[in-house]
Amino acid sequence: MNVAYFPGCSLHGMASEYDLSARLVCKHLGINLQEIEDWNCCGATAAHSLDHLLNVALGARNLNIVKEMHLDRVTAPCAGCFNRLKTASYEMRHNPRVAAEVEKLIIAPAPVEPEVTNLLQLLIEIKGIEAIARQVVKPLKGLKLAAYYGCLLTRPTKVVEFDASEQPISLDLLLNALGAETVIWGHKAECCGGGYAASETNIVLDLGGQVLDSAHAAGAEAIVVACPMCQINLDSRRGKIEADRGKKYDMPIIYFTQLMGLAYGYSPRQLGLSKLLLNPITLLKSKELV
Amino acid sequence: MPDSTKQVTQSYYKTYKLDNIDDSLKLELKEKCGIDIETCLECGKCTGGCSNTHIFDFTPRKIVQLIKMGQETRLYHLDALWTCVSCQLCVDRCPAGIDIARIIDFVREKAIKRGAEPTRSNVKMFHELMLDEINKTGRVGETVLMIKFNLKRGLYFENADLGRKLFFKGKLKLFIPGIKNIGQVRRMFNSNPVQREV
Repeated sequence: MNVAYFPGCSLHGMASEYDLSARLVCKHLGINLQEIEDWNCCGATAAHSLDHLLNVALGARNLNIVKEMHLDRVTAPCAGCFNRLKTASYEMRHNPRVAAEVEKLIIAPAPVEPEVTNLLQLLIEIKGIEAIARQVVKPLKGLKLAAYYGCLLTRPTKVVEFDASEQPISLDLLLNALGAETVIWGHKAECCGGGYAASETNIVLDLGGQVLDSAHAAGAEAIVVACPMCQINLDSRRGKIEADRGKKYDMPIIYFTQLMGLAYGYSPRQLGLSKLLLNPITLLKSKELV
Repeated sequence: MPDSTKQVTQSYYKTYKLDNIDDSLKLELKEKCGIDIETCLECGKCTGGCSNTHIFDFTPRKIVQLIKMGQETRLYHLDALWTCVSCQLCVDRCPAGIDIARIIDFVREKAIKRGAEPTRSNVKMFHELMLDEINKTGRVGETVLMIKFNLKRGLYFENADLGRKLFFKGKLKLFIPGIKNIGQVRRMFNSNPVQREV
């Protein structure tokens, strides 16, 4: 299977372990990821916040490169990048006025053909849960996980067309297929504070804190994420959140592709586990998984 | 009425002086975003789902109401514009299918065009710095952006402790290679009116 790959700025930066583990796992499953050459930033929160058309134009340029690669699908592991690209594609497909204005900005036709799929969606909907389960050589038995989707993987439903909006199950099913147990909890698709990580950190402390507290109350031993913003927000602000709330939240925040790799027999080093601020190695050793 | 009720009533039910009431804002929203604001049932489901409603000065439902009433001045000075996380819960919950997150983006864009001062300048500054990076190199280096954000605010040691931890994990990259066809990206900025004001 050949799919265009959009890593986005985070996967080339602070979330390199997500990039590493995603490529490893896709290769293992026979998915050939071809990185978009000369891709540009999706615009993240900044573009859609200040300039709607710019967000669509930035996405359009990337999607045109996908067309030049003669590929009909692009995948992005980052939920933010995925949502931005998908929204750009949706706007061009459904709003002729926006498509016309974007064509003026990019001096090229508006690319409506390529399908934009987030990595989790690609693995579950296109590869299939059975195919994922078949590759498991080391079931993640004994791990109690909170599957955390964040806000951009499942919303807005009419744009992303993926999973249930507020109580999704796709990541839970994937983790179960890897042999782990998943908890039922209320904040599985609540926002972590996203793009306010640096500019209004209090929002992250509040919303991210609610997520940590909710996962902890549900008895989760670790939180599994599919977005670099969620990962960094929950992992890096844990100390301040613990101080604010007077509780300990010792749960590592792990990328789902890293857990897939572990179940497929790859080593912690190959998966970049030690790059996470709270190293999950202690937890995994206690479960005899490494 | 008893004193306690009077207190609650006075703080809860404020009287607003309305701007001129005309339909221009509603019509512009319909034309630019395809949103028909009059389909709002005022049910409050948007507020019920909103992640940050507890810190908003006007709840999502009330923001939609302000649009219906054409209250531009009040809208452009909302604090909610700068604390909305765009989590899309309001969009998914609305029984009328109104894209409230898009409405907030639309109001924010107009507020900037009209020169309204943001209630949280840090937020606007951060967005602008990020767009600057995209304009210059086509991609964003998180470390470079953080350093520039600190320098611009004169808060040189903000997040320094986190920076140190990330450095030892090998997560800080100071050099981000720019893209080859940067002209294609810059052209999106140059011809764009919002950027000209920035």
